[in-house]
Amino acid sequence: MAFDSTLKTGVSRRAVLAGVGAAGALAATSFSTPVRAQQATLRWWSPQAAPAQREAYLFQIAQFEKANPGVKVLFEPTSDEAYAQQLAAAFASGQVPNIVTHLPSFAVQDYWAAGLLEPFNDVITALGPQNFYEGANRIYEIDKGKYAGTGVGNTAANMLWVRKDLMQKASIDAIPRTWDELRNAARKMQGGGIFGAPLPYGRNSMTSLIFIGVIHQAGGQVFTPDLQVGIDTDKTLAALDWYKSMRELCPAGATNYSWGDSLTAFVSGATATGIYAGRVLANVTRQNPGIADSITCAAYPTISKDVEPWTFNDFPSVFIPKAAKDMEMTKKFAAHLFAPEGYIKQLLAAPGHVLPVLKPIAADPNYTADPIIKKFQKEVDLMAASAAGGYNLGFESAKHKPNTKGGKVVNSHVIAEMVQRVCLNNENPKTVLGETAKKIEEIMKS
Amino acid sequence: MLLSSQYAALGVLLIAPTVLVFCAVIVYPLVSAIYLSLFSIYTPTLQGKWVGLDNYAKLLASGEFWGALRVTLVWTIGTLVLQLVFGIALALLLHQNLVFRSLARGLILFPYFVSTVVAVLVWRWLFNDLYGILNHVLLAAGLIDMPLDWLGQMPNAMVSLILVGAWKYFPFVVITVLARLQTIPDHLYEAAEMDGAGPVARFFDVTLPQLRDVLLVVILLRAIWDFKEFDLIWLMTGGGPVTSTQTLPLLVYRSAFGLNEMGGASAVAVLMMLVMLVFMALYIRAQRQE
Repeated sequence: MAFDSTLKTGVSRRAVLAGVGAAGALAATSFSTPVRAQQATLRWWSPQAAPAQREAYLFQIAQFEKANPGVKVLFEPTSDEAYAQQLAAAFASGQVPNIVTHLPSFAVQDYWAAGLLEPFNDVITALGPQNFYEGANRIYEIDKGKYAGTGVGNTAANMLWVRKDLMQKASIDAIPRTWDELRNAARKMQGGGIFGAPLPYGRNSMTSLIFIGVIHQAGGQVFTPDLQVGIDTDKTLAALDWYKSMRELCPAGATNYSWGDSLTAFVSGATATGIYAGRVLANVTRQNPGIADSITCAAYPTISKDVEPWTFNDFPSVFIPKAAKDMEMTKKFAAHLFAPEGYIKQLLAAPGHVLPVLKPIAADPNYTADPIIKKFQKEVDLMAASAAGGYNLGFESAKHKPNTKGGKVVNSHVIAEMVQRVCLNNENPKTVLGETAKKIEEIMKS
Repeated sequence: MLLSSQYAALGVLLIAPTVLVFCAVIVYPLVSAIYLSLFSIYTPTLQGKWVGLDNYAKLLASGEFWGALRVTLVWTIGTLVLQLVFGIALALLLHQNLVFRSLARGLILFPYFVSTVVAVLVWRWLFNDLYGILNHVLLAAGLIDMPLDWLGQMPNAMVSLILVGAWKYFPFVVITVLARLQTIPDHLYEAAEMDGAGPVARFFDVTLPQLRDVLLVVILLRAIWDFKEFDLIWLMTGGGPVTSTQTLPLLVYRSAFGLNEMGGASAVAVLMMLVMLVFMALYIRAQRQE
């Protein structure tokens, strides 16, 4: 199945919006609707479970339950660091959730390759493939014509966040574009209890994922386009060298930082720069409004201006395990998640963090009228553009094949361990890199 | 003859439930673990192929297993020693006539009762480099210039783990030792006093020998529990930095659910059991010889 994801010219915005509204309605009717009430309990897993997001999910659930008497939906939070383990146990025991959202696309590719997922084509068809951004679903088409899932949003996860007030105080005119500029700026802004940056050095997925971005920002790659291990290069060594040099500009506890810690460090004002997605906007607005007028973001710097920025988009996904019960109702619920009212509520629970994958939603006044989106329109637009051109280990560039072992490489922590060995233990980078390349090769062969 | 056969049949019938339960909860999991360890199994599908002893050969040849074993022993011995020292000291203190003794005895159990997740969250906040009270106090007292990284570098991470482990589990030693202290006859202390023994001599010559049997059990149980401790270490450090606090249970978890290699994970679990059996056998034998 090939989807035409381009909008035909001549279709008015009103018509498009109506189309998505219809998609929501279609979602409720396109799967065979039982005449009598159907008893079913659906389980929904997601690692994105901040209180405001949960509230939005409960709204979507309530709407669905109202439209489908007898159906109950349970929301069960997982976490970015533990979903792999929890899902492995769930698949092994056969006690799988009906629907899983917000996991990175490489996890979906991994499970699809193991034959554990239900094709998502029906749901995409119900939503209208033309409503998705161009190319939004290509990373899920691992086998020709079959979609392992789809995106529930986009995220530009490694944006550089800066404090303009601190930059001004340190006489820094422009947002750093290269690593040297960033290091110098961080050094100038560090002091008085404020650190330069909250880069992660923990043995966790954040360190792996961020450092994969740093390798690309050095002009390198982890795999070649035909998925041979390609990490053992001078570019990775340069990335390690720079990352190590940044250690003294990060808080002592960065050796254990994961996503939440890194975010909090910037939001609380403990660091002058940040590395995160759009959740910064909502958290600063709610938790530290004093700096809200001073923050802005840019693509994370690269080794030189010759190397283009590389945005890590984890392509927050939605997929359905093949062993899920009540499949038809599950697909109906999956489509319901994109119904405009609930989907916009979900997106606005963390404005700018999870960005819409449906074009009409991004243009919907109910979405754009949000005060945080309005206030930070420039930043949101930049993140949306960066995410649209973003990649991750499951799909390192437009030239790369989908990597169904990407999730396994991340979850093995071999890349985070490499960072720790070089940056914290001061081990020889060449030796460590060589050993890491071998470990990745073993994972690819396993 | 007929009667004895009937008695024998009755005996088998009476013992059968125990044997069945034993088989269900001990033998079956044990045999399953050994059986799984002989396969290469992808966890989510539980499908795999026979590899014989390959998983064991790979493990024993890998530095990771031996590293994790060394870390496990450092953690177990470190935290166990502290639990015993704090536990016995507190038990002796709570055996005295103190004001609010009953309340103190109740409160001392608090760390043992509190959920590990909650305890770890609290300790992680205490250790936090930016907002933690520990660094705040040390900085305010002028003892350090920069916040200490309690959980992200060695040896701090292991020291922190051992301290938190000792805090969490020493109440078990307190209650068992306190129970035994209350049954030591007073006349033993009176006789020692008449022989001129001071408080220290009374402790080593009377109290400690009387505690020997209970300490044997406490050490056995706590050593087993600490050896296979997972949640506290996983939540505190995740095994890092690098693999400096990665114990064998963490290696099992990582193999089974991180790398999805159930066979390899089972092999680690079986080796863990063998290591524990060897240490326990040596320990019990040494105690008997004394």
